[in-house]
Amino acid sequence: MPLLNNLMQKEYFVQGPLSLGLWRTLNGEITMAIAEKMASNQKQIAISEFFEKNKHFLGFDSMPRSIITAVKESVDNSLDACEEARILPDIKIRLTKIEDKKDVIELMAEDNGPGIPEAAIGKVFGQLLFGSRFHAIRQSRGQQGIGITGVVMYSQLTTGKPTIVVSKIANETSAVSVKIGLDTRKNKAIKSEQDRIIWEDDDGVLKEHGVKVTCRMKAKYQRGKQSVYQYLRMTSIVNPHAAITFTDPDGEVHHWPRVTERLPTKVDAIKPHPHGIELGQLQRMLRESKESRMTVFLRANFSGVSMRAAKQLCEAAEVSEKAKPSTLKPDPIRNLIEAFQGERLCEGRIVKLLAPPINCLSPIEEMLIKKGLSKTIDSKFISTMTRAPSVSHGNPFQIEVGLIFGEGMVGDSHVEILRFANRVPLMYQQGGCLLTKAIEKVDWRQYGLEQAGGKGVPKGPAAILVHLASTNVQFTSEAKEALADNEIVFEETRKAMLEMGRGLRKHLEKKKKMAKTREKFELINDILPAIAAKSAAILGRPVPDLSGSITKIMNAIIAEEESVWNKETKQVDVKIIFYNYSSRARQYTLLTNWPEKSGAVMVGNERGGRKETTGIWAWKMETLNPGENAMIEYSLDGLEKGDWTETDVFFRGNQEVIGATKMDEKMLEEIRNQEEISRAAGIEIPDDDIIDEDEDTAPVAEGDNRQTTLFGGEA
Amino acid sequence: MARVNDPELTKRELHGVVAEMYDRMVKGEAPTMTLPVRTKNNIGFDKKLGVYKYGKKRSVRDASSLGSAKNLLRALHVVEFIEEMIKSGKSSTLREMYYISEGWGYGKFGSQNDSNNLAEDLEVITTCLREDFKLRPEEDGARMIGNLTLQEKNRKGEWMRINARDDVGDSGYGVPYNVEIEKIELLEHDVDFIMAIETGGMFDRLIENGFDEDYRCALLHLKGQPARSTRRILKRMNEEWGLPVVVFLDGDPWSFRIFASIAYGAIKTAHISEYLATPSASYLGITADDILAYDLPADELSKKDVEALNAELSDPRFADGWWQDQINMMLEINMKAEQQSLAKYGLDFVTDTYLPEKLGELGLA
Ligand SMILES: Nc1ncnc2c1ncn2[C@@H]1O[C@H](COP(=O)(O)OP(=O)(O)OP(=O)(O)O)[C@@H](O)[C@H]1O
Ligand SMILES: [Mg+2]
Repeated sequence: MPLLNNLMQKEYFVQGPLSLGLWRTLNGEITMAIAEKMASNQKQIAISEFFEKNKHFLGFDSMPRSIITAVKESVDNSLDACEEARILPDIKIRLTKIEDKKDVIELMAEDNGPGIPEAAIGKVFGQLLFGSRFHAIRQSRGQQGIGITGVVMYSQLTTGKPTIVVSKIANETSAVSVKIGLDTRKNKAIKSEQDRIIWEDDDGVLKEHGVKVTCRMKAKYQRGKQSVYQYLRMTSIVNPHAAITFTDPDGEVHHWPRVTERLPTKVDAIKPHPHGIELGQLQRMLRESKESRMTVFLRANFSGVSMRAAKQLCEAAEVSEKAKPSTLKPDPIRNLIEAFQGERLCEGRIVKLLAPPINCLSPIEEMLIKKGLSKTIDSKFISTMTRAPSVSHGNPFQIEVGLIFGEGMVGDSHVEILRFANRVPLMYQQGGCLLTKAIEKVDWRQYGLEQAGGKGVPKGPAAILVHLASTNVQFTSEAKEALADNEIVFEETRKAMLEMGRGLRKHLEKKKKMAKTREKFELINDILPAIAAKSAAILGRPVPDLSGSITKIMNAIIAEEESVWNKETKQVDVKIIFYNYSSRARQYTLLTNWPEKSGAVMVGNERGGRKETTGIWAWKMETLNPGENAMIEYSLDGLEKGDWTETDVFFRGNQEVIGATKMDEKMLEEIRNQEEISRAAGIEIPDDDIIDEDEDTAPVAEGDNRQTTLFGGEA
Repeated sequence: MARVNDPELTKRELHGVVAEMYDRMVKGEAPTMTLPVRTKNNIGFDKKLGVYKYGKKRSVRDASSLGSAKNLLRALHVVEFIEEMIKSGKSSTLREMYYISEGWGYGKFGSQNDSNNLAEDLEVITTCLREDFKLRPEEDGARMIGNLTLQEKNRKGEWMRINARDDVGDSGYGVPYNVEIEKIELLEHDVDFIMAIETGGMFDRLIENGFDEDYRCALLHLKGQPARSTRRILKRMNEEWGLPVVVFLDGDPWSFRIFASIAYGAIKTAHISEYLATPSASYLGITADDILAYDLPADELSKKDVEALNAELSDPRFADGWWQDQINMMLEINMKAEQQSLAKYGLDFVTDTYLPEKLGELGLA
């Protein structure tokens, strides 16, 4: 829910508190509110008034926007709940216009998540700031505990109607159905018509678990770039594990199927990193700490602080290692912050800190971006790039980009930009967003797209996806529509674009070459035999043998590649045919890539050969005489449909091979080096609780360039 | 120049094209088709014939690219098709052939232009005429008015005698696509010269003003770039009746080209210039001088016009001094004018003043 704490603090402290329990500080640490204390001497405002005042931050400022916000809040919750419960989400959204009432829409949102226990329903839907997530620093959609209550409130304020909630948890036989209204003075739910019911879905099948919310609100349904449809479409792209069905007010049903059974990786919560902490927060943490000495406090409450670093920080801040944290005075606290920021030195050096762990991030990952894009956009070429995680001001983040290009898309307009932060679509303020700016900074002309002056949003039959996964997404405003400028994030995004652009260029070049090859094959397979047959018929002579003419015409060595999904075996069948259409005998080594890192296993490779490096296999081919061909066949197991549609073929040998690229030995070397580095460093990120005294093994340092893609770029 | 129409010869020539491809394949080479280069760089003046013909430059189309391989295959289909038509005594328009090619599989034409070009290619290689191939163009020929008598063989195979003044309406006698002797015979005439006119408006103006009667001439409407049959009949009347031909066109670079194709032969049909070109034809106007001399309403030259004029300066057909002067003058005054701009001085000005003066210069009035 788009409400940041600085806003909340302002509202609470200036205008008087709401009788609320918790709120989340800027960096995600949880604090007990002092609301009750303040309530006594300050005027209490009605929640409805608060809501009225902050409608625009909450996403209910206009009628078209309100319905998008309501859908978003419920879908976000469903996805979050399913992810936590490790359930593959099945989400149904239905919008119905209420007859006789102008601009009233009923929203029905249903999921198959874990459900909400009866006792919690009132709090979830009827109490602001009740949520399960704000205690954690990790990547999640919902953060504030306002989302769905806001929808209930908006419905009640605009139509006077309560929200109907049906919820079932797995270990109860019946579901609970209840109408939720709000007592806006007390920030409490008013429940009515509570009942236990048998919940069946449309086909009469008993529902095992899930939540269904039905509410009516003043709203307007619109189509276009900013619409419920677009929101759900974008959501389905970055949530390929979800099946989403949307029935629009005209009764038209849109369905985005699940394209992978793989749930997003489970994310763990992490402690704050000293680089990302602010004075107020540190003060609170110290005040509330139970630790007896500073070094213990630092190591127990922060990530990235080793024993040695804890000692050095104390020294730099001129604080005794033994000092009791809860009694620290304001001056030493300020010193400590300065030591955190590297402004105070220890023995003339900045205190070295480990990077924060990155297992709190859940990138979509290249393969799934591909799938997500290809299910909503019908086009063949997709290039993706997931950058290695990086850190900005103590906050781990990761940039992912995807580009889909080709037929079936409009060619003469600006490319579509699909922006996401933590898997949540960003639909407004495109121009002011860091992600857009990074796209505009790239000269796309060199990658085959049109772009006036080499700046701005490029034109062409393409769509660009950008996803920022971060524990702390910085927005330009409370409305959470656009990402705020940040040099490190910007650079990462730009680099990802460049790499992806290179992928596009390579694809276009390959496509051109392949088109030429296809022409040649058509020539020798279809046209030439027809010429021979027809001329022989006209002259009444025998049809001539064509092998000589074919070699003369082709005068090339050609590799043809095919990677197709085999429904029966659930494998990708790869076939490479290698032709010698030149006038001399030829001998080559052929190499192909396969997605080993994504878990694919090569099977049925009868030719043998050997593994060159991660994801690269090599075959030394027999000598091919003019006119001969040879075939390599194998299958890839462990992939899903659409995961792998194109295999790159490389060669070692003298003469150019059409359809293959000369193996770049330097690149191969680089891949091997990286492999070596990862092996030495260990790909696993060390658990923060285990204190590692050796700082040199920092898994990921700021600005590290390790990539997860082998062929994202050229060496 | 008279021609013989010999189906066996046509077939033999066409088989020569096929044999070139066949023999190359037998030798283990890519099949080819050799033909003269058809650009202005490969036309030269044939002193014997008095027209411009293709020179010695040859280009070889070989089947090493998909495009040209398809072209060779198409040529084979066309040869087969022509043979069938010769056998069955039918003919077809180029457009019909284009549609028939739908059934030729890989040999199908990509566009009507492809089929037109290929027919011309075959003419050029075999030195046969389109008419020998039983192929006729889509565009109809010119209209003619004047005291000329000819006979035309109708569909029933009977000869019909037609006088192009007394037996026709205001639109005149329509020239058919085939004007060879098997179709048309020129009988008699009572005129002093033939005037070929570019635009329909001017043609009708002269008829309405009775110019053909007053000046004892036949008028022929060219309809822009003249069809082959139009040029052929002009040529025949010029040759068989010994009638002078004058050409009255707009005053712009494109008209110069029309004149060149009438008088010296067109680049695209230089292989049959001796049948189509009338070397003795004279350019009457509108000339660049006329624009100045008669102070005609004129338009500025466009970029395209200037390009065309510059190309004409290096075109061997415009190499003589008079043409070089005219072209340079037009470039200099940067103006062009239409025939009908003469109407500035009234509807009768063209017949009462302009044409008599111009014909006078040529000694025809
Ligand atoms: N469909 C659901 N299934 C299971 N639990 C749910 C569902 N919807 C909400 N919840 C629970 O209710 C809590 C409150 O939801 P709410 O949308 O108000 O806040 P939030 O999602 O935590 O944060 P935000 O304000 O950013 O949306 C959630 O944290 C979650 O624990
Ligand atoms: Mg929520």
